[in-house]
Amino acid sequence: MLTTPRLMAIALCAALNFSIGSIVYLVKLPIYLDSIGTILCALLLAPDRRAGFVCAWISGALSLVLSAILINPFVPWFELTDVAIALFSAFAISQRAETFRARPLPKLAFTLNVLLYGLATGIIAAIVSAPVVVYLFGGVTGSGSAFLVALFLKSGQQLMSAAILSGLSAEPIDKTLQVLFAALLYRATPGDFIAMLQTSDDLAARTDNT
Amino acid sequence: MTTLRQGPITPNGAAGFGLILIGATIAAAAPGLAAVAVIVAAFAAFEVRGASGRAIRRSLVLVVPLAIFMLIVWVGIVGRSPAEIAAGGVGSRGAAFLHVALIASRLFVVVCTIQLIAARFAHRTPLDFIGVLRVPVAAKRLFVLTLSLVETLRHAIDRAHTALIACGLLTHGASIRNLANSWVLVQTVWLTAITIVTGRLRDKWPVEHTLGLLDHALAQGEQRSLSRGDLVWLPAAFAAAVLAVVVR
Repeated sequence: MLTTPRLMAIALCAALNFSIGSIVYLVKLPIYLDSIGTILCALLLAPDRRAGFVCAWISGALSLVLSAILINPFVPWFELTDVAIALFSAFAISQRAETFRARPLPKLAFTLNVLLYGLATGIIAAIVSAPVVVYLFGGVTGSGSAFLVALFLKSGQQLMSAAILSGLSAEPIDKTLQVLFAALLYRATPGDFIAMLQTSDDLAARTDNT
Repeated sequence: MTTLRQGPITPNGAAGFGLILIGATIAAAAPGLAAVAVIVAAFAAFEVRGASGRAIRRSLVLVVPLAIFMLIVWVGIVGRSPAEIAAGGVGSRGAAFLHVALIASRLFVVVCTIQLIAARFAHRTPLDFIGVLRVPVAAKRLFVLTLSLVETLRHAIDRAHTALIACGLLTHGASIRNLANSWVLVQTVWLTAITIVTGRLRDKWPVEHTLGLLDHALAQGEQRSLSRGDLVWLPAAFAAAVLAVVVR
């Protein structure tokens, strides 16, 4: 399952997850964009979902460890969110790999898929992250969404539901952008590189589908 | 086979020490947290020594802004602790302050442990440190490749960022133009990285036998023995972890 080209894809996607943080910092955007590599890794390995999940998960975990050592020591606590995103990317988003690479671009299908899977990823991430936000950070992670938590608490919500509601209002936007970026990067990736990642079984499956 | 040798804590011992203490910190209430903090302070004083000042300063830089933000939200805006909210009581800012103090202390101990371990082995290169760790060679290889690609991507980001600013697509500060065109930067960096990786995989590495040499170097460096330092700090961390879980 873990051939040398796939190991390189994992390392590349982990480095991408990590480096996009630098880009976000450079251009001062008010979002995270820290799972693009994870989603992209699952797409690159489509249609092999099991390999897609394992590779996407490893790339996400690696980038979390790197970020913890070099930039932000709080991110590894969101490892479970990373697992959830890898699972969803490999078993759901990667099913639309053909649509994301289709030429000419099927604009409506592309947009609908990005919106649908982005929102779903956001909802999953919000629900899975909430216990970490509540237990480790006491509900406040230092991002602007903490004010939303405070707002929900003031309105009488319990801490866990306030954290989930805050996540649900912020994560879908961020994750939709991440799915969009991952789909666009997947679309831009040269076919030669994707072919290097496929095993003979994947190629046979791909031929059957077409 | 694991054998005992002279000397201070090893990277393997430090990794185990860190993992045990971080796990204990997350599970600890206030009294247990104090036990963990004592071990971390002892590690700073006896093992890290001169470099601890910088590690503690870095930890403060990371945690203090977050703690201030928590104070604004919990004490300033919410005015009650989560326990009081759950109980449906009126609540007080004092209880909210105590809640923030416990959470911030936990985070500080976690960050400080990581920073102290990093400071303890700051003289080693990342390749050297990873090579010494007792983990499968495939995991080490993956970590080294990722670090190498991070550098590649950083250079690509710097070059592309400068070029895109020069041609007017991006700006130095925050701007609408950045929001609209940052995608071009991401795509440029990705395509640069793909080109480099494809070239390495197809031609450069097979000719130079790079991966074989890397695996050999990583396997050769592995330390299988524990030091006397490990046998001091690992049981100390374990004892603190037990206290942290038991004393509530």
